Amino acid sequence: MKMKTLPVALLALVVFAFTGQSHAATKCGANTGVTAKGKPIIVGGIHGNAPPGDFSASTDAAKAYFDCVNANGGIHGRPIDYRIENDQWNPELAAQAASKLVIDAGAVALVANGSFIEMAVNAGTYKKANIMSMAAACAISECFESSNIVSTNQGPLPSNLGATQYAQEELGSKNVGCIGLNIPNNGPWSCKASIDLMKARGGSGSMALLNPGAPDVNSALLEIISNGADTILMNLPAGLAIAVLKAAEEQDLRDQYVWIAPTPLYDLSVPKALGKYWDGKVFVNAELAPFQIGGPDAKNWKAVMDAYAKPEDPRDTFAQSGYLSATFFVKMMLAMNPKDIDNRAKVTQAIKNISGYRSDLMCGPYYVGDSDFHMPNHAGYMVQIINGGFKIVRECYEFDSAYFKPHIAIEKKLGLR
Amino acid sequence: MRNLKHLNWMIYLIAMVAIVLFLGSGKPIKIVGLFFVSGLAIGSLYALGGIGIVVLYRATGVLNFANGAAGAAGVMLAWQFADWGIWGPFTWLVAIFVALIISLVYGRLIAPLLAWREPVVKAVATLGFALIILGIVSFIWEDDPRKFALPSDKIGVYILGLRVTVTRLIAFAASICIVIGIYFYLYHTKVGLQMRSLANDRDLSALLGIPILKVETIAWGISGVIAGFTGLMFGDLIRLEPFVITFMVIPSIAAAVCGRLDNLILVLIGGLSMGVIESLLTLSQVFKGVRPIAPFVIAAVVLLWYQRGRRLTFSGTD
Repeated sequence: MKMKTLPVALLALVVFAFTGQSHAATKCGANTGVTAKGKPIIVGGIHGNAPPGDFSASTDAAKAYFDCVNANGGIHGRPIDYRIENDQWNPELAAQAASKLVIDAGAVALVANGSFIEMAVNAGTYKKANIMSMAAACAISECFESSNIVSTNQGPLPSNLGATQYAQEELGSKNVGCIGLNIPNNGPWSCKASIDLMKARGGSGSMALLNPGAPDVNSALLEIISNGADTILMNLPAGLAIAVLKAAEEQDLRDQYVWIAPTPLYDLSVPKALGKYWDGKVFVNAELAPFQIGGPDAKNWKAVMDAYAKPEDPRDTFAQSGYLSATFFVKMMLAMNPKDIDNRAKVTQAIKNISGYRSDLMCGPYYVGDSDFHMPNHAGYMVQIINGGFKIVRECYEFDSAYFKPHIAIEKKLGLR
Repeated sequence: MRNLKHLNWMIYLIAMVAIVLFLGSGKPIKIVGLFFVSGLAIGSLYALGGIGIVVLYRATGVLNFANGAAGAAGVMLAWQFADWGIWGPFTWLVAIFVALIISLVYGRLIAPLLAWREPVVKAVATLGFALIILGIVSFIWEDDPRKFALPSDKIGVYILGLRVTVTRLIAFAASICIVIGIYFYLYHTKVGLQMRSLANDRDLSALLGIPILKVETIAWGISGVIAGFTGLMFGDLIRLEPFVITFMVIPSIAAAVCGRLDNLILVLIGGLSMGVIESLLTLSQVFKGVRPIAPFVIAAVVLLWYQRGRRLTFSGTD
């Protein structure tokens, strides 16, 4: 938030100027310490940023990493020209952004895209143009069920499954009520998977759908309760989920139900926003490594953000996934023959050949493959909101669902299992 | 005429009972009661927003789309001050003061320039102003999870099985009190008389020597205070998202249309009815998908019903 971060940023600038201290050591790409020169390699990124949501964290983090790579030898000595477009949640603008980057600018790939809209609009364009989008902030089915889009984040479906599975196994849940967005390729799609999981395990489930701008969240809560739910799954953006929890707090429903949520509630602002009433009562699935896990990539992500991102750029899950998509892209490009890195078809093929990339930020291996669906990230952590922060209650675990059968078959074929 | 009024009320009551029975059929009374009270709670917010709009419209002829944005700016600043640890009641006053200032700035600086334009032009100008305020608020406070709470959230009473907080009761009571207060102000004070005169015929009022700028400034001020209070209620009872609070003005206008932008009691009843019907629609597997459009369908039906051979709501002189 600008009013908070501005003084901090100014203070940091003053301290930096007077002490001459450098940032924590970063490790990016070839890590040569030499600034890349020559003809830039054009890479695109599309995010959605307009009220009521900002998905720019993924492209912010990717830009920070690419800037770091450019300062450290680039891709075979050449810099990455990362061009970011904002779809403003407008399908027409999303199509224009893709056209600008893919057709006019001739980008070799798209990296760290994050939107509710862009993937649904442009999946066909990417296929037709034979370009891969290594997305990072996906929330709709088209992002995971298209040939030319692959994301490092999980989206709502796996994250819901992770939360539901944990609640069923550890918290005694028998009937899960999923409150989701009334967007066909988001809420119903992702809630249904959790309901199917409960049914497969002898339980039951139902869903209630809310419009993103709906003022009355209490009706959805009452609907789920009247369906006999013992567990409330808040498959919603953080702001709406907080509104649901506030409606529940009004009615003092905390101790009568189990409260679970996918990743959007894994945000450092959430525990404070919820207050003491919910302390220890809300369980959240984290689709990437929780912030307290300090592996080499997690540390490098923070260092890169401190050194190359703006102070006000978020340090959240989407920033992690944007950084991850960028690192995987750079790793793949560095492994390519330098003569081929301007050839989109060869870059696309190289991305599809990615298999077994690992990071401490992700529980499982990252791969792409040549298929009409991609969801490499389907394992995660479970955390509990407690003492004003998050406590890990379950380390990396794989989500159990029939939905992943085809994905697991590909992983076996690639030798990742 | 009186018979026609009675007929309208009879039709309304029969329609409401029929809707409640239809949507609640086959459900336990306790469940229907829960949704009914929940609907009243949200409906009182529609009514509150609608009342603020009608108060200004009656005095100035301006349908103010910026009411929600002014309230949003106020409650965001109140949250910011509360986050910095400033004393709660002071932050609430700040919220109301900010909305008051925004309203007065528009009322004194922009509205007079459009005084002789069509009502639709005036309304669209306020929509532009609302988007400017929303843009500034969104620039200052980036999208981030936040919660605005009042101490009255902690206290509640059970009504038909649903726990209702004192904050909701305050919002409900405030709607009624504002209706009564504005009624007495308009009909028992000199400025109220001048406001009614302005609303009736601005040109003639000017010829009669009514201090138009002064009277309109008072109206904009009252509207700003109501917008600030409404913003506090929306921030607490809906959620602290400037976009959502700003566009609460849309169902609020639907409530205002139920009162033909004129009758505050009808605005109150219209808002409450919208909330109840919208909430009860959740009980129907067939109709729950149309919940978001319910307020506007109701407003359209009411408008069509009242427009039978009568004056046009937006021109006011037909």
